[in-house]
Amino acid sequence: MSFFELGSAKKSELKDFYDVTIIGGGPGGITAGIYAVQAGLNPLIIEKALDGGQMNNTQTVENWTGFASISGMELSEKMAEHAREFDVSFTYAEVVDIDGEGQNKEVILDNGKKIKSRVIVVATGSNPRKLGVMGEEDFKGRGISYCATCDGHFFADKHIAVIGGGNSALDESLYLSKMVRKITIVQNLPKLTADKLLQKKLNDTGKVEYIYSSVLDSVEGDSQVRKINIKNVDSGEITSLEVDGIFVFIGLIPNTQFLKGKLEMNGFGYIKTDDFMETKTKGVYAIGDVREKEVRQIVTAAADGAIAIYHAARNYFSE
Amino acid sequence: MAKLLPDNITKQVKEVFSSMEGSVKALLFKSEKNCDYCSTAEQMLQELSEIEGKISYEVHDLASETAAKYGIELAPSMVLLNPEGDDKGVRFLGIPAGHEFGTLLQDIVSFSKGAISDLSKDSIKRIETINSPVDIKVFVTTTCPYCPKAVLTAHNIAMVNKNITAYMVEANEFQEMSKKFGVSSVPQIVINDKVTFVGAYPEGQFVDQVMKAI
Repeated sequence: MSFFELGSAKKSELKDFYDVTIIGGGPGGITAGIYAVQAGLNPLIIEKALDGGQMNNTQTVENWTGFASISGMELSEKMAEHAREFDVSFTYAEVVDIDGEGQNKEVILDNGKKIKSRVIVVATGSNPRKLGVMGEEDFKGRGISYCATCDGHFFADKHIAVIGGGNSALDESLYLSKMVRKITIVQNLPKLTADKLLQKKLNDTGKVEYIYSSVLDSVEGDSQVRKINIKNVDSGEITSLEVDGIFVFIGLIPNTQFLKGKLEMNGFGYIKTDDFMETKTKGVYAIGDVREKEVRQIVTAAADGAIAIYHAARNYFSE
Repeated sequence: MAKLLPDNITKQVKEVFSSMEGSVKALLFKSEKNCDYCSTAEQMLQELSEIEGKISYEVHDLASETAAKYGIELAPSMVLLNPEGDDKGVRFLGIPAGHEFGTLLQDIVSFSKGAISDLSKDSIKRIETINSPVDIKVFVTTTCPYCPKAVLTAHNIAMVNKNITAYMVEANEFQEMSKKFGVSSVPQIVINDKVTFVGAYPEGQFVDQVMKAI
């Protein structure tokens, strides 16, 4: 990132009504915004933090076609810039409620503002999953973190544990390896699930140790995390490891808490849609990571956005 | 001296400032010793004032009476004043760079309109009832994507009630203070040195925490 970022200062003046309200400014939401303008519609994107959403926490993206390697933050900026070129409106707030029934839909923001629209696109993505182990809540903000770019600096030259062995765990470890002394990766499976290329890059740092087939059992410490207890999933044996901090990347949970009872979801909280991304509530769509589907990638989120708007434009704005 | 703000950023800043109404003054507090970012902060304000004539700034020493008047004890720090010259309790401890630069710009625009809080009527009503001093510290790092939301909420809470002062605190720059409050995740919010939480809470929940601290 550059030394100065404008972020949410680039908000548009807010109107009362839009053709399409898009909740979430990640790759799905931004793409939906662009397609909406191209279909002659007036869209608003509501983002709670930064343009690009979770992409901002990804150090390197190497599977967005056209860029062999690009930082998640740079790709975020490029996407948002693209949307602004096409006059997509952006505002920055957290959505606390929606009314998706009927022709005039409404989205309610945490600052009390209400926005009406004909169509709502839910593109709220997901948030890091918590461990649910003893000590986790007590040590949140005292050595347990879910965001490497936010908190990595606090662990300069320290020994940290990273929980998880998937792509996000290794990508974030690669970022952390630039500042910490040592990383111990604790993975519940007998092997890592991250891409091979990423595994090699991380090994090349020479700072990483792996503990396989193990899960975090509990966290101990005083004003800060001092020790973790790790349980082997086969033998049940518990071993202790002294660490200064813990970074948790064990997958994601969909940001759908505010939609409970409003839209149909599966048991994990992912929103169910048809092939055109429409939910059972007419005129309400769900796209990207928040939707029940197999592959959650930047490129599939963007594709969802295009499909949803294509369908919405023909079904709700054709007259 | 080389320019701090690259051309593309300058262009975007101009656009943001196009909605400014009145003039805004920033007070910058510097110290000669142990201040890596004092000159950078001054240059940043210098360049912002060149981009937009409605922005001006004054430089004061940490040992000055003005610093004492505004309760500033660390450098670099910034206080914003609205067109009437009113202090609304909005403070930056450390340079608002990285993602916090956007926070500063938004605060400047809202100060140009008198620093009227952007919060919901409901939140404003609750905050107006506070009649004892409240001090809100929002610890941030400039690489944290969720931090600007927390700082903006705190600053908008301060704008409602003159009893409230809200600080952005750059945690890397002021490590002693961060250590004192055990900061290892950002945003970490500390209200009246007793209520602490981590994360960019939605407005209503943030206000709940403020009410709890009184």
